[in-house]
Amino acid sequence: MMTQDEFVHARQGEWAELRALLDAQRVLHKLAPAHVSRAAALYRAVCRDLMRAQAAGYGPDVIVLLDGLAGRAHNALYDAPPYRLRAVWELLSAEFPRTLRRHARFFALGVALFVLPGVLGFAGAYRSRAFALRILPESSVEQLEESYATGFAGRNGDVDAGMAGFYVFNNVGIAFRCFATGVLFGVGSAFFLVYNGLVIGAVAGLVTAAGHGKNLLTFTCTHGAFELTAIVISATAGMVMGYALVETGGLTRTGSLRAKGRDVATLVLGAACMLLVAAVLEGFWSPSAAPAHVKWGTAILAYLFVATYLARAGRASASAPGPSVRTPVHASIQASRQDSSKVAPPRERRA
Amino acid sequence: MLRCCGVRVALDNTVEVETPELVRFRYRIAGPVRRALAYLVDLLIRVAVLAVLAILLSLAGLAGSGSMKGIMLLAAFVLEWGYYVGFETTGDGRTPGKRALALRVVKEGGFPIGFLDSVLRNLVRGADFLPVGYALGLVVMAADGRFRRLGDRVAGTLVIIEEEARVVAPLVLRPPPTAEELAAFPQRPPLTAWERETLELFLRRADLTEGRREELALTAAPVFAQRMSMWFKDPVRFLGLLHHRATSQTAAASPPVRPQLGAGRLV
Repeated sequence: MMTQDEFVHARQGEWAELRALLDAQRVLHKLAPAHVSRAAALYRAVCRDLMRAQAAGYGPDVIVLLDGLAGRAHNALYDAPPYRLRAVWELLSAEFPRTLRRHARFFALGVALFVLPGVLGFAGAYRSRAFALRILPESSVEQLEESYATGFAGRNGDVDAGMAGFYVFNNVGIAFRCFATGVLFGVGSAFFLVYNGLVIGAVAGLVTAAGHGKNLLTFTCTHGAFELTAIVISATAGMVMGYALVETGGLTRTGSLRAKGRDVATLVLGAACMLLVAAVLEGFWSPSAAPAHVKWGTAILAYLFVATYLARAGRASASAPGPSVRTPVHASIQASRQDSSKVAPPRERRA
Repeated sequence: MLRCCGVRVALDNTVEVETPELVRFRYRIAGPVRRALAYLVDLLIRVAVLAVLAILLSLAGLAGSGSMKGIMLLAAFVLEWGYYVGFETTGDGRTPGKRALALRVVKEGGFPIGFLDSVLRNLVRGADFLPVGYALGLVVMAADGRFRRLGDRVAGTLVIIEEEARVVAPLVLRPPPTAEELAAFPQRPPLTAWERETLELFLRRADLTEGRREELALTAAPVFAQRMSMWFKDPVRFLGLLHHRATSQTAAASPPVRPQLGAGRLV
């Protein structure tokens, strides 16, 4: 049997060689072919050394060194699957709406948790200013009444750019927090939905009572289609996550949470993209000087687009006729769609 | 990990990973303090980037304008939500702060993390932060054997310490053991690998006072003495000799490498 010193002396040359290869490139497949096979051989050798050192009871320093080296090499050998731009397109064109439809119940619950307090807030604030003051701070009430009295039409472009940045920072941040707090058994998401519904309703009620309802509606109608929907969707993702903690389906709570991870991440990323669209519209289109009926028109188009997108995109029947005319890219996307529908058991009924 | 009464008990902060090659290796798990320091480094970097951007925009004559406000807020948003995902996905699970403290995020199986994993663990940051200053995340970490915060649990990730280890010089016993001291021990002392490792860790500790060292040795020495039906006067010396005997008996098979620590020199 070798002593530790002999073992280290005999093997450390190869350890240094592997370390040098790992330092040269983060992931092995970017190395030259000869180096890749050399690195793989060295990795196996290090694994063997590690087992040998453990069995022989060599000192903790040698074991720690080999543990570290084997861990690094393992990480470099098994690189994470790359995330390409195509995947982003697939996510937006099919996977996101499809995932949302799979969790339609939670989406419906989210809409209810948002709209009902919204209606309540609107009715209350419309009837009494005191009610609005209990929900909103007094300073912001005065500011709101003032700003909507004049309207936004023809705000200059510089202010628009500033506000667009604010909308991204604020609204997407709200949506993300709405999602994240869902990990607390869904309570956080539900709370933020009710809270935001109430506040938005109260603002609308207050401004309408002051007689500036038209200013507010023409301002918010277009981007609201994207923004409000996206906030409800991110809360939906939070509630899916919270429910996974309750209904574990026989897994551990953490395991159940992780099983929903992909769905949840897809929903949040989709919502984030919708919010970016909303922020651009809210910054540049909503405050523009376009006449009211044009804004109403775009709002209707926006709602139709969002509804059609969420209800229809990614359905297999939409691309069923005439597969011969499709380009190869479409065909391969279709193939991957069919794969994913095989993997996911709860298939859509109207596929 | 220690085997105790047939059950595996986590004694130190390591986690074992079994690879497809059926090899097991261990990762050291990073604790809250080290991760908090990495967070602070990242925070300072993000603040510095914003400050530099603000200065540049002011120099470009945009000071106080709406465009500047818009760009700053957009940058703040990207830094708040995109900084971690960007660095962890492209930088092999490490942000600059993690790199500075030799940390890395990996999947639970020891694999590198992907884009969606990183998105999940960093968005759930918002919940870990609640109510202030990552209080909830800290409580959840403390309750978990592998120091996972909520985000780590959702994404199935771990934060590990990745430091370069070195082979240390062999342990030397001072004064050198005499032949009769060693002769009192059995040829092959009945020690398990874990016990030998524990002895080595104890003997290498330099930060103990004499009294404390003896106190600690007294807790372990009687166990071994009883096992081998021996007596001892100085518990520290006894453990040192025991370790020496246990490790050098493997050397007996290959005499040329190790110099003889025998009676010859004492004469």
